[in-house]
Amino acid sequence: MIRPDTAERVLTAALQSGGDFAEIFLEDTEENTVHMIDDKVENATHSHSHGAGIRVLTGTNCVYVYTGDTGETALLRAAAAAAAAVKGGDILRPQPFVPRQYGRAPAVPAAGVDNPRRIALLRAGYQAARQASADISQVSANIRDEDQRILVCNSRGVFAEDRRTRALLAVSAVASGGGEVQTGQQSFGFGKGYEGFDGADLAAVGRKAADMALTMLRAPECPAGQFPVVIGPGFGGVIFHEACGHSLEATSVAKGNSEFCGKLGQKIADKRVTAVDDGTIPGAWGSLGIDDEGTPTRKNVLIEHGVLKGYMIDLLGSIRMGMPVTGSSRRESYCYAPTSRMTNTYIAAGEDDDEEMLRTLGEGLYACSMGGGSVNPLTGEFNFSVNEGYWVRDGRILCPVRGATLIGKGSQVLQRIDRVGRGQTLSPGMCGSVSGSVPVNVGQPQIRVRELTVGGKGEAL
Amino acid sequence: MTFEAFRKAAFEAALAAGCTTAETCFSEEESFCAQVLDQQLEKYTVSLSCALGLRVQYQGRNGYAYTEQLENPEQLVARALDNARVIENTDDHPMMGPCAYRPVALPEDPCAGLSEAEKIALAMDLEKQALAADPRVDRVETALVETGHGTLRLDNTLGLSATRQDRFSLSYVCAILKQGDQVQDGAAFRVRGEVKDTAACAAEAAAEAACRFDAQSAAPGTYPVVFRYDAAADLLAAFASVFSADAAQKGLSLLAGQEGQRIASEAVTIMDDPFHPYAPRAFDDEGVPSLTKAVVEKGVLKTLLHNLKTARKAGVSSTSNASRGSVGSPVGVAPSNFYIVPGEKTREQLLADMGDGLLITEVSGLHAGLNPVSGDFSLLARGMRVENGRCTVPVEQITVAGQFLQLLKHVRAVGSDLKFGFPGSVNIASPSLLVDDIKIAGKDLAK
Repeated sequence: MIRPDTAERVLTAALQSGGDFAEIFLEDTEENTVHMIDDKVENATHSHSHGAGIRVLTGTNCVYVYTGDTGETALLRAAAAAAAAVKGGDILRPQPFVPRQYGRAPAVPAAGVDNPRRIALLRAGYQAARQASADISQVSANIRDEDQRILVCNSRGVFAEDRRTRALLAVSAVASGGGEVQTGQQSFGFGKGYEGFDGADLAAVGRKAADMALTMLRAPECPAGQFPVVIGPGFGGVIFHEACGHSLEATSVAKGNSEFCGKLGQKIADKRVTAVDDGTIPGAWGSLGIDDEGTPTRKNVLIEHGVLKGYMIDLLGSIRMGMPVTGSSRRESYCYAPTSRMTNTYIAAGEDDDEEMLRTLGEGLYACSMGGGSVNPLTGEFNFSVNEGYWVRDGRILCPVRGATLIGKGSQVLQRIDRVGRGQTLSPGMCGSVSGSVPVNVGQPQIRVRELTVGGKGEAL
Repeated sequence: MTFEAFRKAAFEAALAAGCTTAETCFSEEESFCAQVLDQQLEKYTVSLSCALGLRVQYQGRNGYAYTEQLENPEQLVARALDNARVIENTDDHPMMGPCAYRPVALPEDPCAGLSEAEKIALAMDLEKQALAADPRVDRVETALVETGHGTLRLDNTLGLSATRQDRFSLSYVCAILKQGDQVQDGAAFRVRGEVKDTAACAAEAAAEAACRFDAQSAAPGTYPVVFRYDAAADLLAAFASVFSADAAQKGLSLLAGQEGQRIASEAVTIMDDPFHPYAPRAFDDEGVPSLTKAVVEKGVLKTLLHNLKTARKAGVSSTSNASRGSVGSPVGVAPSNFYIVPGEKTREQLLADMGDGLLITEVSGLHAGLNPVSGDFSLLARGMRVENGRCTVPVEQITVAGQFLQLLKHVRAVGSDLKFGFPGSVNIASPSLLVDDIKIAGKDLAK
C-alpha cells in the first residue's frame, strides 16, 4: 500500500521530536451489503474505506493521528502533527524493515462475486424463514462481505501485511398472532471468501430464526428470581465473553480496572472451566493473520482447569503490565487506535453430559439461544438476554419462556459453573469497545450455572 | 481529486449511464481529543477525514456506493448502478429539488476557540478535580476533552445544493472510588460552555459512584419506579424506532396505524424538534426543510416520523426525518432532537409522590435486553430504594422488565429535569418519569 522507503520517511517524521515507538496502520477495505425485507431486495450498498493512522508512543502515552489521505504528503503531514504532540526526548531511528505477508487471497474473493449471487444466497435463508409458517409476518435478511487489506509498519522493523475476508448472512423473523409479536434471529458467518458458503445449509439459518420467533410467540413470560441455568452451546459463549473475557483484556487489567487484576495463577473458576482466545482458527469469523499491531495471532489459554493463566495484551498493555504481547490488539478501522480485544473466545469442551445437566437441574431455565450482553469490567456486573429459553421443572422441559435476562457478577458466575458439556461450537458476533466494533466468535459447549439472577416479568409457572 | 471535480464527473457519468438522478452526500470532519491519566497526556487523537456517499436512481430504484478516496468517480457510479439494478422494492423515493431553508445559527460554544494547549489543560484540571472530589476517589479511569467540527453537503442533479455545519465540544470523566474492599465507578459529562466547569463535572462523577456503595439487591415484585432522566432517555432511545414510519410500513412497529390513538398516558407529550437549540439543523439528510412537530400530544400519537419515501407511500408529507447512519448509508428514518416535554415537578417531588418504590438511575444492556419490535424489555438496572419519598439504600443486581407501550401508558408524572446526552445527529432526551407497575427481579435478602 505504501513502499518501505515512504514508510521509513513517515516513521522518521513521526519520531522527529522524540518518542519510543512509531507505527503506521494503513487500511483499504471494501464492503458490500444486500438487505431484503417484505420479500423484496430493499437496499444494496458498496463502501470503500481507505486511510491511515499514525501512532507515537512515549512510555505509556499515546499520540494518534488519522487521515483518509494516504499520499506521502498527507502521511508526512499527519506524522508531523503527531510529532508536534510529543514532548521531546531522544530521537529514535526506525529499524530496518523485515517485510512479512500474512493472509492469503481467498479462493472466491468478494470482488469477483456479483449481486445476483449474493441475492441467491440471501434468498435461500430468507425464503426458508418466510415459508416456515403463516404466522411469520415479516422477515428481514442481510448478507455482508468484507475484504480488508492492512499494512502495519513500525519503528521496530515490522512491515507486515494481512488480508482479512469475511462474510455473514443474518436472518431475522417476526411472528405475529393473537395480538402478540415476537422475533427470532440467526446468523452464519466465517472468515473466508465466498467459498465459505459452499455446502452451507442457509435454509436452516432461516428456519431457525423463524422457529425461534414462533416458539416465543406461544411462550409465557419468564419468571424472575434466583435459579440454576443451563446455557446452550455456541452463542451461549457470550456469557464467558461478557462475564469474564472483557475483564481479561489489558484495556481493563493494565490500569487495575478489572476484578481479575493480580489473580494470575489463582483459581478464579470452577475446575471444569478451561477458556481460550484463539485468533488463529483457520477460516473463523474472528481470526486474523496478524493483529492490528502486526503481531501474529496465537492461541492464548486464559483459564486452565479454573486457574487464571493469562490475559489478552496489546503493546500499550504490555508496557504497563511488564508482560509480553499476545497478538490481541485490534481496531475497527484506521479511525481507532488499537487496544486489546478478543478474537475467537470459548470455553473448551468438558466431560459432562448434556442430558444429565438438564435432568438434575430441578427447577430453572434452559437458555437454549442467547442474545447479546454487556459488562462493567471494574465491578464484573454483566447482563445478557435470552433469545430462546425454556422453563425446566423436575429436570424436564415444561414450556418455552420469553423475555428472560441473565445478570450477575463475572467472578461469581465462573465459580458457579457446575457442568461443562462435550460439544463445543463457535458463533459469530460483533463486539464493541474503545477501539470500535470488531468481529468476534463466542463459543462453548452446553454448560450449567448453579445459580443466576433471572430477570423476567412472568409469574411462577 | 477535489470534491467539486469528483461530484461533477460522477453526475455526468451517472446521467450518461441512464440514471434519472444522482445525489452526493459529502462530509468533511476534523476532531481533537485529549485524554489525561496521572496528569500526563495519555492519549492525544486528531483526525481529518472526508467521505462521500453517492445515490443514483435508475428506473425508479435507488443504488448506493460510498468511498473515502476521491479518485475514481466512474467506478463509484458503476458500483451504485450495480446496486440499483437489483433492487426489487419499487416504492417511489423522490429526491429533493432546490429549496430555501430557514437560517440556523450554530449554538454558542465558548470551547470552540480554545487552543489545543488550553483543551489539554482543561482535561488535566478535570482529572485533578475528580481526584479531589471525594476522599474515596482512588483514581480516575478517564478524563478527556473532545472537540470537533464538520460540514455536510448534499447536492443532486435536480439542483439541490445544501450545506450544514456542526461542531461539538465535550468533557467526560469517570472516577473510581474505593470504600473498604468495594470499588465503584461513576461518570459525568459536560458540553460546550459547561466544559469549563470542571469542578461540577468531577463532583457529579464522584457522587454517582459514591451512592453505589453498600448496595443490595431488591425483592422480586411489581414496583412503582422513578426512571431518572438519563435512564428514561436510554429507554426512549432504544425504542425510538417504534415511531419510524419506515418500521411501521414494514410491520416492525407496534404503532403502525395508531395515529390519532391514545398510546401513552396524558402526562406524555413527545416533541421532535430539529430546530431545538441543543443541536439545530435547517434540513434533514435528504434536504427536506426542518419541521418541528409533536409526535405524541397528551398521550395521543399525532404522527410517525417520515422521510420522502415513507411519506409518499403513506400519502402524507415528509416530517423532515430522513436519516443516513453514515454518508454512505441508504436513506432511512430517525428522530432529530426528540424528547419528552418536561413537567412541573422536580425529581424530589416525583419521589415524594411515589412514596415507596425504586429510583432507577441506570439501565444496561440496551442493545440486547430489549426488543423494539415486540416492545418487551428486561434490563440490568441499578438505583436506590425509596421509602416515604426518600432514597434510602442503593440497589444493584436487579432487572427491570416491562413492555414499552405499557410503560408509556403507566407514566403517572413527568419531571422537570430534562437533560440531553452526548450531542450527535440523533439526540433523544427525557425528564425523570414516575411509572407504575414495573416488574423487578432480584434477590430477596430476607429469605
